Amino acid sequence: MSTLHVTRSTPLSRIALPLAALLVLLLAAAPWWASTATLRLIGEIMIYLSLASLWNLLAGYTGLVSVGQHAFVGLGGYILFTVALYLGWNPLLAIPLAGITAALIAVPVARLVFRLNGAYFAIGTWVVAEVFRLSFAQISSLGGGSGSSLPIGIMKAMAESKAMRESLIYWAALALGTGSVVFVYLLLRSRIGLALTAIRDNETASSSLGITIPRIKLAVYVGVAAVTGMVGALIFLQKLRIAPDAAFSASDWTVLVIFMVVIGGIGTIEGPIIGTLLFFVLREFLADLGTLYLMILGALAILIMMASPKGLWGLVTSRTGLSLFPVGYRVETRGDQG
Amino acid sequence: MSKIIMLNRRQILTGAGALLAAPALLRATRASAADATFKIGYVSPTTGPIAGFGEADGFILEGVRKAFAGLTNNGKPVQVEIIAKDSQSSSNRAAEVATELIEKDGVNLLLASATPDTANPVADQAELNEIPCITSIAPWQPYFFGRNGDPAKGFNWTYHFFWGLEDVIGNFISLWDKSGVAKKVGGLFPNDADGNAWGDPKLGFPGPLEKAGYALTDPGRFQLMNADFSSQIAAFKAAGVEIVTGVTIPPDFATFWSQAGQQGFKPKVVTVGKALLFPSVIESLGERGDGLSSEIWWSPSHPFSSSLTGESSRQIADGYTKTTGKPWTQPIGFNHALFEIAADVIKRAADLTDPKAVIDAVAATDLKTLVGPISWKGGPANPVKNVVRTPLVSGQWQKQGDKVELVITNNSQYPSIPVGGELKLLS
Repeated sequence: MSTLHVTRSTPLSRIALPLAALLVLLLAAAPWWASTATLRLIGEIMIYLSLASLWNLLAGYTGLVSVGQHAFVGLGGYILFTVALYLGWNPLLAIPLAGITAALIAVPVARLVFRLNGAYFAIGTWVVAEVFRLSFAQISSLGGGSGSSLPIGIMKAMAESKAMRESLIYWAALALGTGSVVFVYLLLRSRIGLALTAIRDNETASSSLGITIPRIKLAVYVGVAAVTGMVGALIFLQKLRIAPDAAFSASDWTVLVIFMVVIGGIGTIEGPIIGTLLFFVLREFLADLGTLYLMILGALAILIMMASPKGLWGLVTSRTGLSLFPVGYRVETRGDQG
Repeated sequence: MSKIIMLNRRQILTGAGALLAAPALLRATRASAADATFKIGYVSPTTGPIAGFGEADGFILEGVRKAFAGLTNNGKPVQVEIIAKDSQSSSNRAAEVATELIEKDGVNLLLASATPDTANPVADQAELNEIPCITSIAPWQPYFFGRNGDPAKGFNWTYHFFWGLEDVIGNFISLWDKSGVAKKVGGLFPNDADGNAWGDPKLGFPGPLEKAGYALTDPGRFQLMNADFSSQIAAFKAAGVEIVTGVTIPPDFATFWSQAGQQGFKPKVVTVGKALLFPSVIESLGERGDGLSSEIWWSPSHPFSSSLTGESSRQIADGYTKTTGKPWTQPIGFNHALFEIAADVIKRAADLTDPKAVIDAVAATDLKTLVGPISWKGGPANPVKNVVRTPLVSGQWQKQGDKVELVITNNSQYPSIPVGGELKLLS
């Protein structure tokens, strides 16, 4: 006896969700089982996972192909330095503050760049990031073009023992990394997500169906900017040193992130996760090759884009129809083998 | 009922406290199981825009690894492992590889070289993680003040050797004094760590130049990779500038110099820091590379030899040219000296497994190296606790046959380094 059901979950996703939750629990306990080196590595993966998921939400779902997200990473970093150098607060408090500031600044920025479309929008966001970089290079109290270091005393005030300090930063990274994925997942399952998917597929058609495109785009842009700013503050809490070129580095905070999303699979939740993991595997094994390593990355990106424009996850879904984090609805016949 | 809840809560709190303390305990047991090799982490740029500084690293490391083979500490032979990492010319990557070296490789000593963008992030990580660290090839002011250093306190874990702004200012002024040209100087100071320090009214060029009777035209900080120097050139022309100075990256200087030629600006002396260090850069300027002048931190004619291999400056430079077919470069001396100090520290440290004993040995260094005497014990060469200034002279790129050679023309700051020729005017 078989009936038709409309459902979101798939047999795989019913297993994937609890497994993912278990994995997060296991990762949260990492300070008790991992060495500091492993903690650092997982933390860095989480930071890039967050940036990749957020950029995927912007470019893959909302159609906002921004190549200037490093504007908000750098801004977050500089908020951290302002808070630490001039207010003397616990640097962890700078993380939410960086999020709020980035959101506030993203509103007027959005008004400006949203006047542009497509390639013009992409270049516009890049220009905004350049403007940010040049502006911070003029602020001599934050080191200007020379850059500045976080005083050791402030790091010690956060937690006296090194293990505790590492653990705190790690948990913050884990929270932002998993938080970003969960945020994107829940957002896409909501009414906004439905609208976003419609915008992704056809902007004109979705507009004619009554979706207020500008408002949704603005909300997503500002939300992504806020989390990106928080990630920025955390990044420079680990780096201990900031300079305009490092803070607003397009290659570190935007190009690498785009690389991860594109090889993983743009417009899917799983894509950025796979792309991030693949990048770190490559880096762990090949980074010491110097220039050759960068050439391998480039060649790989070209190869994957040509062989599978939807990335590695696109290749998997088109062959098997698998989905770990389903956001769409499907018709399923129950009773048969699902 | 409420009592039981109280008890539970307290138990939970103690439990949570113990749990939070657990990572520290785990780490302590891991650290005590230190292995027998002494590990040195070395960070330098071997790819990217400032790769020239790390160009000779392969050659240096090969020689150093051989010389490290027979090292002993407290009468016992020491296994030394050198792990070299590329900073990719980025301060982000330099901080990343420094933490990797500290956490993953568990290095006992960190060495880093070339520009504040490499030295500072590595030193910052070392200071926080309490790992002994020695750096070089960055003028000491951007290193020390760029890290928010307090001269009264200094740093505990990080030491540095290189010259400072006072040395380069003294050198340039005496070079110009002897040239006999009009005392009108134009400054090219970009908005980066070096440019801001050199152009700083208190620490940099403006004060000493005024005292020495020079008029400085400083059109203000410009961004790196500037495409248009017309306004600077116009300002220099208007002020009748005959001497151009500054501290730029090679591409910026090349742009400035070709535009100066196109716009008919002909200074008589051009003495620029950082841009004119490498023979490859001078060759890329063609005919117009001949006669430019620069600071010289190390050359084959420096009367110093390596405490590690016993070779003289000339022998090391010739060895490099013989092995690689390339002309010698100044960073060779300093990058080699980093390992000389490391070897000396390994010999003297009371206990190589104890970071405190290692850093005490660093602080007590008194060594004659390939780049001159190194000691942090508080002599006239120590402007602050963690810095030692090394000898600096200056000179000019001069055409000799079909290639250009860097010739020392001014040794006023350190007379025991011999001069090799006279300064010639550009026009």
